[in-house]
Amino acid sequence: MSQLVCENISKQYKKKVVLHDIDLTIEQGKIYGLVGRNGAGKTTLLSILTAQNPATSGTVTYDGMPVWENQKALDHLCFSRELNTLSVLGPNTIKVKEYLQMARTYYPNWDREMEQRLVAQFDLNPKKKISKLSKGMLSMVTIVVALASKADITILDEPVAGLDVVARDDFYHLLLEEHEATGRTFIVSTHIIEEAANVFEEVIFLKDGEILLKEDTQELLERAAHVSGLAEEVDAACEGLEIHHVEQMGRSKGVTVLLAPGEQIADGYDVTVQPVSLQNLFVALCGREA
Amino acid sequence: MNELLSQNKSIYLQVSEMIETDILRGILLEEERVPSTNELAKLYTINPATAAKGINLLVDEGILYKKRGIGMFVAEGAKEHIIEKRRDAFYENYVKGLLEEAKSLGISSEQLVEMIRAHE
Repeated sequence: MSQLVCENISKQYKKKVVLHDIDLTIEQGKIYGLVGRNGAGKTTLLSILTAQNPATSGTVTYDGMPVWENQKALDHLCFSRELNTLSVLGPNTIKVKEYLQMARTYYPNWDREMEQRLVAQFDLNPKKKISKLSKGMLSMVTIVVALASKADITILDEPVAGLDVVARDDFYHLLLEEHEATGRTFIVSTHIIEEAANVFEEVIFLKDGEILLKEDTQELLERAAHVSGLAEEVDAACEGLEIHHVEQMGRSKGVTVLLAPGEQIADGYDVTVQPVSLQNLFVALCGREA
Repeated sequence: MNELLSQNKSIYLQVSEMIETDILRGILLEEERVPSTNELAKLYTINPATAAKGINLLVDEGILYKKRGIGMFVAEGAKEHIIEKRRDAFYENYVKGLLEEAKSLGISSEQLVEMIRAHE
């Protein structure tokens, strides 16, 4: 089985450390969600995984081969970056058609038929300049590149940014369909956690340049809970457990707990125990007071 | 199967309960094929691994069974099995919560029984 393995990756821009010593293994055939706050290092990590940006230290390998300057490994990887109306030289004046042509030359397994089908489905005008596209249309172009690349491991950076709710739903369906048909691996970074949570087999939380957790999404949610009630009762029920995001108001208290295997919230206390959504859990673990 | 998923419970449990409910209601009949993991994944927009977990739960309980190369089918006696299972869980799922709420409101067991009788 092909794996993308990243070992001890660190990245420093001048004095600012963006990634600290990251170890990460991406397995073939899963859909991963990458979640982190703005500035957590998501795009930097994704660009290092695909050798578009050199790491300060550490190695990335695909199937045991280093990915850096290694076309043989890179042929299996696609990183569909966020597109901008501006390039470093000013307005991005190349046309959608030309952008897709470049992608076609770059990715060896490019699916022309799929490219055309998606362009039609998204109602994209190939003759339009990138600089004239709306936010949603920019995202659609990145989705076309990602899906049509047919790369074994395909990374999408914020693919749903600016898309309306129907287009987002269409995207999740396209992703699941392609995953079913081909078994390709996808890594999707997103800020819209809630609606994507059920699509991700595994979720990766990135916080301040470190991997906070990488886990089966459903298993993670099963071991998370919100406990609330009279402060003393809550404290007693949660004694010894991993507690996050404590909120207190008068005598009332609410906490988010993450249970380790074999642990449980103590019985016999008058508390309310509720399931936690992935978004709530993310805020509890990565929010300001976490 | 066309119920909506909620955030209040594991997705795979909801998938298996919806299939059970459809069997109880006669929407899915015994010895009939149930939708595949991928069909369910698309219907609910969920990861196929999660849908598979829900289906496997029912296979483990003998409610569904696998016909090699064809798909998953509702087992004979599945409906009876689900009724029994839900009866067993009735106290835990419904009565316990009812009694707890009654207790915190100071409603006695006699008053509760009276309410149930009056409803009939």
